[in-house]
Amino acid sequence: MRSFFRRLHWFVQRRRKESELREELQFHLDEEAEQHRAEGLTEDQARWAARRELGNLTLLQEDTRAMWGWTIFEQVGQDLRYAFRTMAANRLFTLLAMTSLALGIGANTAIYSFMDAILLRSLPVSDPESLVVLNWYAKATEGDSVMKAMSGTTYHEPNSGVSAGIFPFPAFELFQRNDAVFSIVFAHYPSWQMRRLNLSAKGQADVAAGWSVSGDYFRGLGVAPAAGRLIIPDDDRPGAPAVAVVSYGFSQKRFGGAANALGQPILIDNLPFTLIGVTPPEFFGVDPASPPDVYLPMHTNELLGASNQFGFRAEDYLARNYYWVHVMGRLRPGVTLAQAQAALAPAFQQWVASTATNDQERANLPQLVVKKGAGGLDSLRRRYSKPLYVLLTLVGLILALACANVANLLLVRAAARRREMALRLSVGAGRFRIVRQLLTESVLLASLSGALGLLFALWGIRFLTLLLANGRANFTLHADLNWHVLGAAIALSFLTGILFGLAPALQSTRVDVILALKESPAGQPAARHNFRHISLSQILVMSQIAISLLLLVAAGLFVRTLANLESVELGFNRENVLLFQVDARKAGHKDPEIAAFYGDLRKRLSAIPGVRDASLSEDSLIEAGTGLPLGPAGAPPNPANRILNVGPAFFRTMEIPILAGRDIEERDRPGSPAVAVINEAFAKANFGNRNPLGQHLILREPDLQTGEGGRLARDMEIVGVCRNARYGGLTRDIPPVAYLAYNQGYPRPDQMVYALRTAGDPLLYVNSVREIVHQADARVPVSEVRTQAAEIDQTINQEITFAELCSGFAILTLVIACVGLYGTVSYNVARRTAEIGIRMALGAQRGRVVRMVLSEVLGLAAVGLAIGMAAALGTSKFVESLLYGIKSNDPLALLAAVAILFAAVTLGGYAPARKASRIDPMAALRHE
Amino acid sequence: MLREPPSRVELLQGTLDLLILRTLLAGPTHGHAIAKHIQRTSEELLQVETGSLYPALHRLEAKGWIAASWKLSDKGKRARYYRLTRLGRKQLASEQSKWRAFSRAVGLILNPVDQEGP
Repeated sequence: MRSFFRRLHWFVQRRRKESELREELQFHLDEEAEQHRAEGLTEDQARWAARRELGNLTLLQEDTRAMWGWTIFEQVGQDLRYAFRTMAANRLFTLLAMTSLALGIGANTAIYSFMDAILLRSLPVSDPESLVVLNWYAKATEGDSVMKAMSGTTYHEPNSGVSAGIFPFPAFELFQRNDAVFSIVFAHYPSWQMRRLNLSAKGQADVAAGWSVSGDYFRGLGVAPAAGRLIIPDDDRPGAPAVAVVSYGFSQKRFGGAANALGQPILIDNLPFTLIGVTPPEFFGVDPASPPDVYLPMHTNELLGASNQFGFRAEDYLARNYYWVHVMGRLRPGVTLAQAQAALAPAFQQWVASTATNDQERANLPQLVVKKGAGGLDSLRRRYSKPLYVLLTLVGLILALACANVANLLLVRAAARRREMALRLSVGAGRFRIVRQLLTESVLLASLSGALGLLFALWGIRFLTLLLANGRANFTLHADLNWHVLGAAIALSFLTGILFGLAPALQSTRVDVILALKESPAGQPAARHNFRHISLSQILVMSQIAISLLLLVAAGLFVRTLANLESVELGFNRENVLLFQVDARKAGHKDPEIAAFYGDLRKRLSAIPGVRDASLSEDSLIEAGTGLPLGPAGAPPNPANRILNVGPAFFRTMEIPILAGRDIEERDRPGSPAVAVINEAFAKANFGNRNPLGQHLILREPDLQTGEGGRLARDMEIVGVCRNARYGGLTRDIPPVAYLAYNQGYPRPDQMVYALRTAGDPLLYVNSVREIVHQADARVPVSEVRTQAAEIDQTINQEITFAELCSGFAILTLVIACVGLYGTVSYNVARRTAEIGIRMALGAQRGRVVRMVLSEVLGLAAVGLAIGMAAALGTSKFVESLLYGIKSNDPLALLAAVAILFAAVTLGGYAPARKASRIDPMAALRHE
Repeated sequence: MLREPPSRVELLQGTLDLLILRTLLAGPTHGHAIAKHIQRTSEELLQVETGSLYPALHRLEAKGWIAASWKLSDKGKRARYYRLTRLGRKQLASEQSKWRAFSRAVGLILNPVDQEGP
């Protein structure tokens, strides 16, 4: 290594080195001459003798220089200089090649940086590799099971069954006792009641995302505070003083610095808390999908839940069939994942079996699965890994296409440089040396493209982030160029350089020297003797067409999916509606005053000039999803029935047509007869052909022990039937829904989403809304402000992104492929100038020449299309789960792709074909 | 041809390096002096070609066995002086022992004990 650096050092100072060598040899000559003079020769004779003895001075210098060991640097330098000159001389080629490669490399780098951020990155905590996340897996999702109640996300596994990472609290205590496997076990709970906390400090109320953690959470993760102290076990016990830890970002935003936040008295959901510490800047919790603003001790759940009708209760800690707490642990040094699994699974099995009460429950017990925890919870990975792999495949194809394209252009150029190569070979250049020279050119090209590609990648990352975030302010996914990504990009550039450079380089050195030198400078051989050229270039063109087809099909599928999603019948008018959320209960409003507060706020909002209608509902239609025991009077509750608490004029505001009866109105007040409006699906499911108007519905409070209806909560008269409107998502079947007046009893109003039907852009009303809510009660923050259209777009965000990206990709590939085709055909036409000239001299019509050239192009295209079609049919089923409303072999998408590609190919081939038909026979023949 | 050395012995491949290193053991000196020293010490039997001396010196320098610096010669002219580095000393020791083993082996074959002396 040292000698390498010595050589490099010499290389840098090579001018000095050269002159030193000259001086050294001169000294030798002088000494030698001196010696000869001493032996008695004359001055001249002495000099001659010395010179003669030395021999060939240039050769000697050359030999010595060789010993400096940088012939390799010198040659690379020469090659680079030459490569730069060649590139500069062929600007159009260089531009085309570099742009297509840079786009390919840039797209790959951008997608890879997202994969790096989502799939590969570890939590910024100490020794993330020893962390594990506990999960369970159960075979059946239907039927009776020990999981009587759950709070958290469950995932349907691809094959069958369901899995989740939530446990009853007694199970967590069971794991805590297992200290042979774990050095520490901790729990956390992203409680739904903490998702939007009302955090009030210094008289200003904000919505903050909360997360409850066990006392060992921070110690278990090995996180040190940025200020103050973090939550410890002593904070996490019933009756402990209420404390909170905030994230670094939140402390900056809300208190202007970590140190300022310490010791602040704050109100969380109107309860006094003390702020004791701030987490470090890089820490974002254990779920990359949702970083909390506030961390609260686990035992504050019952504190905050006390005021909520569905809130957390202290007895939930003892419930053995309520699954809610997330468990993570740190393995003892030397304990492997498999060992942990082997040790814990039987213990959990035994415990969970003791919670079953009948055979069906025993047959479908959850099984413990210990997963790696270095990356935290896998919510982001589950959501994005498939789309990302699909995208990576697509951009990989683009890069392959770009490589094929450049290889083809290089082949064309290699043919043009046959004389140059022949000359080099004939004056004694080694074949390896020439291949190296050509490879230097292609690697240089690829490296420059890679540098340009990084620029594209930066844009791409920003663009993708925007696409994925789609207006969400709290979008947490931060992909960036780091050393991983940079390394990948550099490796990719070199690889592509060698990939597309090698074949043409090898080919161009395989020339018949004599024949090539005899050719005329214009460079067309007398006959098509170098058949291999054509075939390699043809293969490249065909593969480009095949790849383009694949991408066009993908674009077609995703665009059709998006079109299907956008044409989904909503049942309400999504345009010109402003939505926002408030929660007066968390600010301290109590029953029954809270209903009056909400009603009064609605009146004030409808008075804003330009607001046509205003209403409220407990959730937006798209996010709705409440099921309580509900059914017609005299019939058992139907578990499929759903409810939504709404305010007056809800149907008028959302523009949901009322088919019979009336809307919910002002006169439906607390104390007046309870009413409900049902949708068509509800009428059909619960009343069949009977007229539902005037019928009574019975709502009961659920009994958590039996899961069935308990105390009677509301007896309502059906006063209206409305058209089916989307409920709880865009693509799900519309369930039977009963819309209840929000202020007529159980369930009591908590949070409310207001909907304003506006004249013109709804976002223009945001300031007035904030002002009015602030006037009504400054303790009630406004959150989740968005238009109804944006909310819907948010749910199909991924499909929008895919459709836009794939369309972009398809256009890109089409352009690259057409350029490649144009180049290849033009070259072939140029080579056949004489032949075409003769044909025309013999009377061939121009149209015939055009047809001849085009038919060759279309022949190539047909083969490429056939290959591409086979590949598309074979692979498109992998994206089936990303599609909506169409099959993966959607004929329209396939047909459109073929048609577009044929049009593009014809266009790419027509220009050179036309040029061929313009050949002047006389000029072409004289040319020979 | 002005001068034909009386009887020249071709240098064996690789021995030049050894001779240069050995010569420099006595102290730093320049290329010309190295050549002359080898010639003189070998009683004019070994002739060092300038055409191989300088490449050899530069090769040894590149390997780090010898180092060069510019100094004034006895006659007051600037000359490139070479000296043995620590690495070179080690190399010389190992080359020397290799050479001895080699020459002993060749000697054993050329002068077997049971054969009469020349």
